[in-house]
Amino acid sequence: MALDETLREVWPRVRKKHLFPELPYPLCAEGEKRVGLDIKEKAISISREFVEGMCQELVEGEVVEGLLDHAVSHYLCCPWNLSTHLRLYGEAKKVLRDKEMAKKATDYFMDVVADTHCVSQKETPLPRIYRHLRRGVLDEAVHALYERIWGVDLGVEGHEEISRKLSRLPYLDRSRWGDSMKRFAKAIHPLLQEERDQGGLKRPGPMGGHRMRQYSKEEIERGFKDLASDSATPSEFKEIVRDFEDDILEANLSEDGSMGLGPGRSLDADLLYYMKLAENWMLPIRKMPTKKSGSLYPHHHEPWEVGKPYQDIDPWTSFGKIMPGITQMWRRLEGDIFGQWEGIPDCVVMIDSSGSMTDPRQSLSYAVLGAACACDAYLRNGAQVAVYNFSDAWSGGRQMLPYSRQRREIYRNLCHYFGGGTSLMVEEIETLHEGKVPDLFLITDMQITNLETLIQYFNQCKNRITAVHIGDNRHVATFRQSMALRKNVEAYAVEKKDDIPRIVLGKVRDYLYRETL
Amino acid sequence: MRNPFLDFRSVPIRKKEIPLDRIVRAKQAIMDRIIEGYLALVEEEVKGLVWLVGQSHEVRTYNAALRSIQGLQYDQDDVEELCAELDSAKKVPYLISGPAGIYLSALINQAREERILLRLQDFERTFHFLGYRLPQGKTLILRGNVGDFIGASLAGGRLVVEGSAGNWCGAGMTGGEILVTGLTGQKTGEWMRGGRIQVDGRIWGVGQNRYGGEIYHRGRPIAPLGAVDQSQSEDDDGPG
Amino acid sequence: MSPENNGALRETVWEIHDYIRENLYLNRPDIEVKGVRFNAALLMSILTGLCQGKELIIGEPGLGKTTSAEYVCSLLYGFPLGTIWGSEVAGHPEQTEEKIIGRPDLGRLNQGEEVVVWSHFALLPVKIVDEINRLPETKQSMILDGVDRGNWEYLNDAIINREYCLFATANYQDRGTHTIIAPLIDRFDVMVESKHPGANLAYLIGSAGSDGRALRHEELEAAFQKVLGERLPYQVRMERIEELCAEFRWALAQDHGIRTLSRDERKAFRVQKAQIPFDLDFNAFLRLVLSELSFCHRFGQKRSLERCEEGCHFTGYLCNHLQNCISNRFPMSVRGFSQALAWLLGDQAVGLEHLKALLPFTLAHRLRWNEETVAQREREPRQDPLEIYMAKQGVEEMHRRYMEQGPQIKEALAVASRIMEGEPLEPIMGDHPIYWEIQRDLGKEGLER
Repeated sequence: MALDETLREVWPRVRKKHLFPELPYPLCAEGEKRVGLDIKEKAISISREFVEGMCQELVEGEVVEGLLDHAVSHYLCCPWNLSTHLRLYGEAKKVLRDKEMAKKATDYFMDVVADTHCVSQKETPLPRIYRHLRRGVLDEAVHALYERIWGVDLGVEGHEEISRKLSRLPYLDRSRWGDSMKRFAKAIHPLLQEERDQGGLKRPGPMGGHRMRQYSKEEIERGFKDLASDSATPSEFKEIVRDFEDDILEANLSEDGSMGLGPGRSLDADLLYYMKLAENWMLPIRKMPTKKSGSLYPHHHEPWEVGKPYQDIDPWTSFGKIMPGITQMWRRLEGDIFGQWEGIPDCVVMIDSSGSMTDPRQSLSYAVLGAACACDAYLRNGAQVAVYNFSDAWSGGRQMLPYSRQRREIYRNLCHYFGGGTSLMVEEIETLHEGKVPDLFLITDMQITNLETLIQYFNQCKNRITAVHIGDNRHVATFRQSMALRKNVEAYAVEKKDDIPRIVLGKVRDYLYRETL
Repeated sequence: MRNPFLDFRSVPIRKKEIPLDRIVRAKQAIMDRIIEGYLALVEEEVKGLVWLVGQSHEVRTYNAALRSIQGLQYDQDDVEELCAELDSAKKVPYLISGPAGIYLSALINQAREERILLRLQDFERTFHFLGYRLPQGKTLILRGNVGDFIGASLAGGRLVVEGSAGNWCGAGMTGGEILVTGLTGQKTGEWMRGGRIQVDGRIWGVGQNRYGGEIYHRGRPIAPLGAVDQSQSEDDDGPG
Repeated sequence: MSPENNGALRETVWEIHDYIRENLYLNRPDIEVKGVRFNAALLMSILTGLCQGKELIIGEPGLGKTTSAEYVCSLLYGFPLGTIWGSEVAGHPEQTEEKIIGRPDLGRLNQGEEVVVWSHFALLPVKIVDEINRLPETKQSMILDGVDRGNWEYLNDAIINREYCLFATANYQDRGTHTIIAPLIDRFDVMVESKHPGANLAYLIGSAGSDGRALRHEELEAAFQKVLGERLPYQVRMERIEELCAEFRWALAQDHGIRTLSRDERKAFRVQKAQIPFDLDFNAFLRLVLSELSFCHRFGQKRSLERCEEGCHFTGYLCNHLQNCISNRFPMSVRGFSQALAWLLGDQAVGLEHLKALLPFTLAHRLRWNEETVAQREREPRQDPLEIYMAKQGVEEMHRRYMEQGPQIKEALAVASRIMEGEPLEPIMGDHPIYWEIQRDLGKEGLER
């Protein structure tokens, strides 16, 4: 009970010191003697056993305040959010090339930054806690570093060289954390190897480890979205996601497919990559359109002036008088009424995954990204999406998904890559329509062997068709010439592949939002 | 105009400083000067961003590098950090391989430490001309693969490459020792006048014009002038 | 005022708050300030009433938007409910100036004299407009201009309200009704939602009903009606109204044990409130907020017709997500309301927590977000309508930035202060827009780093 009392007394002080962070009230919990802190979805919990152990050397209030200072500094300085955490991890992994070592190095780096930020800005008992903490080899090296950069005595001996190297890093310069992380990881590599040999890599440090579960679900979603944007290639993203797969599954994230997860299934990092990337291109939900009523009605009064017509004078508000300053007349305006709420048509996406297109699992495929953006836009507005992924359809190189609202399934079909020849079967596309008149999106490089069949098919379609093709070749000219007179068909040439999402979304906006613009 | 900041008049300006601030500031100042030196060297020696290898060019560039770094106080960590800056090209807009390596060598040769370790294994670029004119009494350990002209004109120092070296390794060395745990490229030991080169991996080619010194391959001396040890390892890759 | 009087006045306001919360406006607490939990709609209404502010209450029909305002006005200003009902303006398109502000005395008009019969809405200090968004823009403008200055003019006559507050209710701002246009909505100090109280409280409301009967008094209401209808000078009428208010206050205290505020007490509150100082964190954080909501690196300041550049350096800040520039009414609103909140909590200074609690409500109706930002947020789970939710998220973001660099910002402001006084110092430069704003104020505009 005494610890609860102490916490009640210390927490408001810590909150004020750190300018009122948005963190819930911390808890005291049964925990390990060796590990002082645990953070789950921003909720800090302090280990009673740890505090009891430390109380042999320090006052209870000091221990609690130090632990809280450490936890709050993580929240408000480093890593701040999951994106930063993952970015630092990515840098560490480039140097260390080992998942567990990279995680450990990242944890220690974040601890150093957070603690140094706290010590440099506030009065904190953290140094006194570190002085009396039980240390492993890595902890000793880090405490030797603290002695150097904080100017305090923590009772550490040795580790001159490594602390000298580590003391050069600008820990408090956020813009250089990436480089600093690499150099930090490089410097402590030998110690990490030693730790690995002793089997201590997975053990959390005395101030607790950094797991996915310390972030809220929304932060995790946003973190992966940022990671997808920042990753140069899908493989870079996938590597990090796979390294954290256990953590993500443990954090029990949403089962609606937004994390590329389904119940009982493991993470598909490829799908997750495109899902998160597509979220950066979002169209708002369509609003009910309005239009003018076409007839005038009395809207408001305005003062009558000499010379203005008489017929709109309101005798009631004018009190029966016709004189300037008293008489009021009606001003008539057209009203706004709700327009026709056109049903959102469904969408069929035809995506080319032949050998001439980029393999979306190896490199960023703007074709898949553009298709994904279109699918998301239709799904958000309540429509359904069907997918026709084709390579050499005549030889079975095609994958079809009938109308669906399952985002994960749609992405799975979009990301599939055949890498063969290029032909499609219009009969199969017809079956996907299921009697409706959906919007059609075709993303291809137009090197389709049976292009004439496709042209004939488009010529008889009433659907709105958007064809986005990459590059220019004689097939393109044929296609454009044939479609020139069709008002429902628009073709866009793309020189830079990264224009595809913009073009696709532009058309979607045109189709879905025209009346509301 | 009214002073909109008057409310903050009483806020103390000197904030709590920890040794880290001082250390980082001092190191930053040193690095800025070192990088300035490199850029000045490039401007002086490199015309149109092209620098051709030739002995007079190297000598001139080396002397210019020495002038650039005169009076600088630095340590081996600064040298390693310069390698990182040259690799990342964030602060250094361009890396001209020859002058960069010679500049690094000048820094190494003039450093206080007698033993210098550079960890190059994680860098994307390879550095050339490292160990140029390494003097007696100095030991330079390069961890990772390095480029051409490693240990060129070695002047009595000890150079250890824990990786592979490129072409012209030990070219023109007059004394000292080069130890390469990986392979070396073509023209190994070309123009050497003294000293010793020991290569544990494959040697792709030995220089035809040697005037002294010894070359050992896996502990065995290679035949003099013109004869090349043809023994190969399956794992050896060709030089870059 | 002595500390004892401070405490007594505060106690009275707390009693009013508690009485409304327990008996009249049953709803869940949804914000917390310094460990005290409040219902946002009730808190904002009380602060609006005390500060002579303007509040916009939104919500679904039947969730207590108007009634909550009526109760607060009744208890803070000492008017019986019937009198307040009689002064309300209903928002519909046929509202006229004559119904809202005043009309000519018809009898005297026929004799050729212009004498104004002022409406109850113009006369009384409490002004409630129901569904203000259904009024045409000209009428909205007329009401808001009048409440801004306390000045009501008609037919070359004018009255000046000594004290006044405005409560306006509206449906959610969507098409199909008039919208309140930006210059008008900016005049509101706060916007708050009157939420559904939840199934259990709603059941209570349904079974017992909210007991506003205690706030009725037929005799006095008739007396008010008589005084308001008399053709007496405005000041004389207001003195008589104040006497009637005192009678109503006495009746409430005697019959129901409910305390209300007198005019002198409200004036005392304003004096006490104005004496509460702002601490430096409040000051610095508010400047940070203002900088993020007005700064544009490329165009000098935010403007509604200028779109943000893609790839701007400041994409991480709120200026990149907004279309418009924050007005100068905003800092006035937030300062006044923060002081009032600090007074209510008995604090010696106005600090960051007061500011953080109020910012979303003072910003929600003033921020116009980019479409892309709205698209990214609108599907997120939340407890508030989208504008208030996005304002809360924005405030949280800015607060986190302040937590990280608060001391540096204060230092930068301190250095700037000394530079303005002529000391030869270099301004501190950082990434945040506030540092750039400081540079501009010091006349070092256009510095590129």
